[in-house]
Amino acid sequence: MRRYVVRQLVQVVVVVVGISLLAFAILHVLGDPVLLLLPQNAGIDEFERYRKLLGLDRPLYVQYWKFVSGAVQGDFGKSWYADTPAFKLVLERMPPTIYLTLSGLVVALLISLPLGILAALRRHSWVDSLCTAAAVAGQATPLFWLGIMLIIVFSVRLKLLPASGYGTWQNFLMPAFCLGAALAPITMRLVRSGVIEVMNMEFIKTARAKGLAEPRVVVKHAFRNACIPVITVLGLQFGQLLGGAIITETVFAWPGVATLTVDAIRNQDFPVVQCAVILLALLIVGVNLIVDLLVGFIDPRIRTGT
Amino acid sequence: MARVATLGMTLLLVGSLLAPADLLAQTKDDTLVYAIQSDVQTWDPPNSVLRESIILGYHVFDHLAARDLKTGKVGPSLAVSWKNVDDTTWEVKLRKGVKFHDGTPFSAKDVKATFDRVLDPAKKLTARGNHAKIKTVEVVDDLTVRFKTDGPYPLFVERLTAQVMQSEKAIREKGHEWLQENPVGTGPYKLTKWSKKQEHFLTRNEDYWGTKPHFKHVRIRIIPEQATQIAELISGGVDVIKAVPPDQMDVINKSGQARTSTSPILRTAFIQLDQAGRSGKNPFQDRKVRQAANLAVDVDAIIKHVINGLGDRTATSVNPMAFGFDAGLKPYKQDLAQAKKLLAEAGFPNGFDVGFLTTGPTVEPGLIQTTEAIAADLAKAGIRTKQRFIGEVGPFTNLVRDNKADPMFTWSWGYYSVFDADAILFDVMTCGQPYSYYCNKELDDLVIQGRSTLDAKRRAEIYVKAQKLIYDDAAYLYKWGLRGVWGISNRIEYEAPRDEIDRMFVVTPRKK
Repeated sequence: MRRYVVRQLVQVVVVVVGISLLAFAILHVLGDPVLLLLPQNAGIDEFERYRKLLGLDRPLYVQYWKFVSGAVQGDFGKSWYADTPAFKLVLERMPPTIYLTLSGLVVALLISLPLGILAALRRHSWVDSLCTAAAVAGQATPLFWLGIMLIIVFSVRLKLLPASGYGTWQNFLMPAFCLGAALAPITMRLVRSGVIEVMNMEFIKTARAKGLAEPRVVVKHAFRNACIPVITVLGLQFGQLLGGAIITETVFAWPGVATLTVDAIRNQDFPVVQCAVILLALLIVGVNLIVDLLVGFIDPRIRTGT
Repeated sequence: MARVATLGMTLLLVGSLLAPADLLAQTKDDTLVYAIQSDVQTWDPPNSVLRESIILGYHVFDHLAARDLKTGKVGPSLAVSWKNVDDTTWEVKLRKGVKFHDGTPFSAKDVKATFDRVLDPAKKLTARGNHAKIKTVEVVDDLTVRFKTDGPYPLFVERLTAQVMQSEKAIREKGHEWLQENPVGTGPYKLTKWSKKQEHFLTRNEDYWGTKPHFKHVRIRIIPEQATQIAELISGGVDVIKAVPPDQMDVINKSGQARTSTSPILRTAFIQLDQAGRSGKNPFQDRKVRQAANLAVDVDAIIKHVINGLGDRTATSVNPMAFGFDAGLKPYKQDLAQAKKLLAEAGFPNGFDVGFLTTGPTVEPGLIQTTEAIAADLAKAGIRTKQRFIGEVGPFTNLVRDNKADPMFTWSWGYYSVFDADAILFDVMTCGQPYSYYCNKELDDLVIQGRSTLDAKRRAEIYVKAQKLIYDDAAYLYKWGLRGVWGISNRIEYEAPRDEIDRMFVVTPRKK
């Protein structure tokens, strides 16, 4: 088990370094941030002065080294727009995004687990077809559109929920559902195929043969084994979920890190983008590490590599 | 295992529901809600170029001078009067009995501290450029300040409306970092809470020296998505939104919950024609070709049909609201025959192909559609454009600055909220400015003359001459002054502000 964890941790470092390099390269391809920082009527010498001030006149490898050596100490530099450390800005925005993605995950599970199991048990029945149709429709629905539709129905027409904002449990419902609905279809399909596969296995026959009630067979024996691919995919989908959070946060005016990152990219606020990208990457990698460990915990075959 | 999973899921669910704490209801009778698209980065207005910073600043701070929204004239605010002692000295008398939110009285030393801070190059404040003509600020007595300027400075009073007065005590004792998040002003509202990227909560300043606002609280909410803003407006969650797209006006007006209000704003749109040859040798270096371009386009029809009348035709790039605007100058009228004749005289009897750099509607509503309509009209006269579209404003302006634009490109200019012809003529029409593809020594001379006198009558005459010059020379392809569209809840009285600076402290409940 220890070797397994060490191997995973080494991979984490490689991934994070790779991401930092990519983010750095892409930002520098995008163009000159000084242009956005200064008013349109600033003179050429003013541009040069700022470039020097921000260290943008130095060679790229020097800039990158400065960034890396700061980053490992938790110093990502100051935001070029707000006179605040980038690290602080990003950390402040982190909780709303984590709440949102977690509740999206919960919603996705609440939808996909019962439906997936139901579809598997009633294979080729109208219930199964309905679930499949719903999954295809769900997969095809753009998040953005779904969000606006929810607002029109529940806020504008029915006046039941606030259209946007953050702070009360009412504010949570639509964004969480929106994000959850995006993740539910793929999870549901996986649960369905997983359960179907497991239900044909020998140990299920054994369980039935020893006289266990059917619900207990399904929940305790079938579902637990069907869980492994589902958990793995949920881990992989976590990045997707954060991507979806960008759209969800924008539509519902959610003050999270996803919109902060998009704004920072648009403003070419390098320190904030770098910091957000690294922290989000760490988050995704961390979630996947937990998933790997969890799967290893559930299924001993995986951690021993047999 | 199943139990662990269930427990974990329950915890997640409970955690996600309990997490956010402070409960704020929807709009209440004593609370006004105003939506903006993106949050400010700082509560230190001189340290920001964003319009949102200016708007927020107006609520918590005061300026020495302020614009009357009805007349458009600049009048007293924290200053009660100003006069020229000589060509390079302005003397300003201050209002008595004004207090900052922290209780300290406002006086001449605050004015000096504010300007000294802004003018200090080491502080790197973005507002410095606005006041670079001011050399020194002297305290004469508690309520009198003298400004020494570098040469005559006719825009002095105008620029006073763009500089918030900060507290000397706060600047000295608390310092720069602290000021970024803690505004100490004299304005009609105090900042009670700033939840970043979410909302600013303002509470009425009960000791305000001027007219007290009607609403006790203002919530300034950050709602990035326009569709969500409109949904909030028509479901009663928000009272004022701005920058409504023309095609959404009907949705708001038919909702029964809100209405739209439009106002001309201080931004003129035009197409730059590269007379200066910065993009290389091109047909527009010939005046006849530029005149032909102006004659080829039916601008009035485009305003009427493409942008629902949300534009005010201008003869040149000078906005009707700017000081020095010449109402006597009549815009070019479409005349295809004359346009073709001029092109033939210039050596293009069969017209020509030319590159046209265009961008998206970030500051100019309907830009893509109007650009298409203009290109179609130009083609009728024989000017066949090849469009190159750069959607993001940053890279687009980058190309223009670096001489990499095409011989024609779309442009609009917001005057930095300075209602004066100089604010566009100097920045976008004189030789050698980063964003000017026009260069004419005669115009440069006029612009410099206009800058070097304080005599308003003389300045007006100079600008009439300048507009005649750029009109006859068809410097650019002139379009229109923009109009902004606001969405306003039916429970309040409010009108679109002409300087694009929303003021929630003037809002009152609507009379039934």
